[in-house]
Amino acid sequence: MKTEIIDTIKKDFQENILEESISYNEIYLTVKKESIVKLCDRIYYHFDLPLVSIFATDERNINGFFKIHYVFSIDKNDAFIILRINVDGKNPGYPSITYKIAAANWYEREMQDMFGLVPQGHPDPRRLMNFEDWPDGVHPLRKDFDIRTKPPRVNGEYIYRHVDGEGVYEIPVGPVHAGVIEPGHFRFSVAGEPIINLEIRHFYTHKGVEKLFENISIDKAVFLSERISGDNSVAHAVAFCQAMEKIAGVNVPPRARFIRTILLELERIYNHLGDIAGIATDVAFAFGAAHANKLKEEVLQLNERVTGSRMLRGMNAIGGVRRDIGDKKDEILQKLSIIQRDFRKLMENFTSTPSLMDRIETTGRIYPDTAKGLHVVGPSGRASGLDRDTRRDHPYAAYPEFNFKVPVLKAGDVLSRTIVRADEICESVALIEQALWALPERETRVNVEKIPDGHAFGYTESPRGETIYWVRTIGNRIDRCKVRDPSFCNWLAIEYAVLDNIVPDFPIINKSLSLSYSGNDM
Amino acid sequence: MFEIIKKTLQTGCQTTKYPQTPDFAPQGFRGKPEFIAEKCTYCADCVKVCPAGVIWLSEKSGEKTLSLSCCGCIFCGRCEEVCKPGAIKLTQEYELSAKKKEDLISSIGRKL
Repeated sequence: MKTEIIDTIKKDFQENILEESISYNEIYLTVKKESIVKLCDRIYYHFDLPLVSIFATDERNINGFFKIHYVFSIDKNDAFIILRINVDGKNPGYPSITYKIAAANWYEREMQDMFGLVPQGHPDPRRLMNFEDWPDGVHPLRKDFDIRTKPPRVNGEYIYRHVDGEGVYEIPVGPVHAGVIEPGHFRFSVAGEPIINLEIRHFYTHKGVEKLFENISIDKAVFLSERISGDNSVAHAVAFCQAMEKIAGVNVPPRARFIRTILLELERIYNHLGDIAGIATDVAFAFGAAHANKLKEEVLQLNERVTGSRMLRGMNAIGGVRRDIGDKKDEILQKLSIIQRDFRKLMENFTSTPSLMDRIETTGRIYPDTAKGLHVVGPSGRASGLDRDTRRDHPYAAYPEFNFKVPVLKAGDVLSRTIVRADEICESVALIEQALWALPERETRVNVEKIPDGHAFGYTESPRGETIYWVRTIGNRIDRCKVRDPSFCNWLAIEYAVLDNIVPDFPIINKSLSLSYSGNDM
Repeated sequence: MFEIIKKTLQTGCQTTKYPQTPDFAPQGFRGKPEFIAEKCTYCADCVKVCPAGVIWLSEKSGEKTLSLSCCGCIFCGRCEEVCKPGAIKLTQEYELSAKKKEDLISSIGRKL
């Protein structure tokens, strides 16, 4: 399929392709700017390849251009097609693809704010990350923007989408919320109880992580990636390390790959347990919430005993893992078997409680075509019929060596998302058992002194979905690090999931999508 | 309903008596980093690798002082990893709250 796609594109768009290069499983095609809409359209709709990321790089000091990368994933062949266009540094406009491919929406707005690249014909060209008090023409990810710059505040206004009509009311919620969570604004338009429109506004705490990556040394960058999204720290760190290892051409020792798999699955278990507990809390099923939280706490304590950190931090390094966990094998197996037994019983209690099932069945539906159009990833995507899992489609760490199922449901409601998570917990336990029984001997880490110049993707399936890093190194430093957290794709889905639902169901829908503020707003 | 009551009774009380009875962190826990003054050579390797930048070396009237602030420490253990004489260790100490930031700084010094 891979060669078929490339051949067809080359045949049909011969005069538009300027350059072709292949590294690892990444096929880069540099194409003419004018042809990008047609090419994306062909790849996305004709070959049915998902658009997984769009990002820009500033290469004005080399050739006077910005480069935009459109990344498509060939799931069947474990490959990526990356279309690149050059955008003139002095006249940074390029044709928008959002009106054809909805999933491109936020990426193009992000590039507009961060690089000053103007998507011509974008249906919603408002600012996304630079707020209204941020001055015009200041773009943080451009190379000539110094990291210490403190731009002056200016006056400006943000215009929300507006729904008018008799009996239509607006309910603004946030950015300050009741719980200890990060800030985000939700503006509901309601007619009676049902929600007829929701607009979300985020990026209140933009931290400039991608800029930070460019300004720290590579060994410190691993710890930065670990802290992008607090409860997905292993997934982020492994994705970053894998990208660097690909560039350095390092083969990670088998034992390290197995340990990474165990850590990734431990992370998935405690996240999913926490999400299930949250759903139970939001429907006032206190019993279920207490027991799911108890199980989550048991996994966190197990994490602490195994790695020294409840959130599994500080374990990954470029070239392997920093600690061996082989001596904890019996403890992990024993604890997980108890947790799994208790969890199965708990799920029986869940499904046999009508007051819970009534609230979550058919609530917050994301229909399969919406999910596909917005590129919803992870358990939320799989609950809406999208059969994608990075662990299976782009195998990494030790996943190719194990058997596991990818649960997929079609209803797309809160119940489906709960069941997908519950099934994934059981698969994760089975994966950890397989990994521990087959744990290879010998070293856990190879030393990587210097990273050569190059660029590569690193990817993992975090508990929230596919996490993608693209890193370019120049002179043993990071020149550009693009992080695509799953929440960046999934947040927009909530605007569709809540439609026709009642306001009191919003917290459950929000919880069931398990969206990260921090991972989204880096 | 019956199942829920049964499960609740079976589970019993899950909380511990902390802080009345102390709760010790497990072996290998990444807690507060501590200096071992007599082993330190003041080479500043730990200063260079600290991702959070909370270890610093200062020199004043012939006395070298190595300081570490737990305020900002991410407990990654890189300092412990690179220290050749083994003069910095992550301990099992986790009760680190203080009223002032200065109370979270620990220092060692040596006259040259």
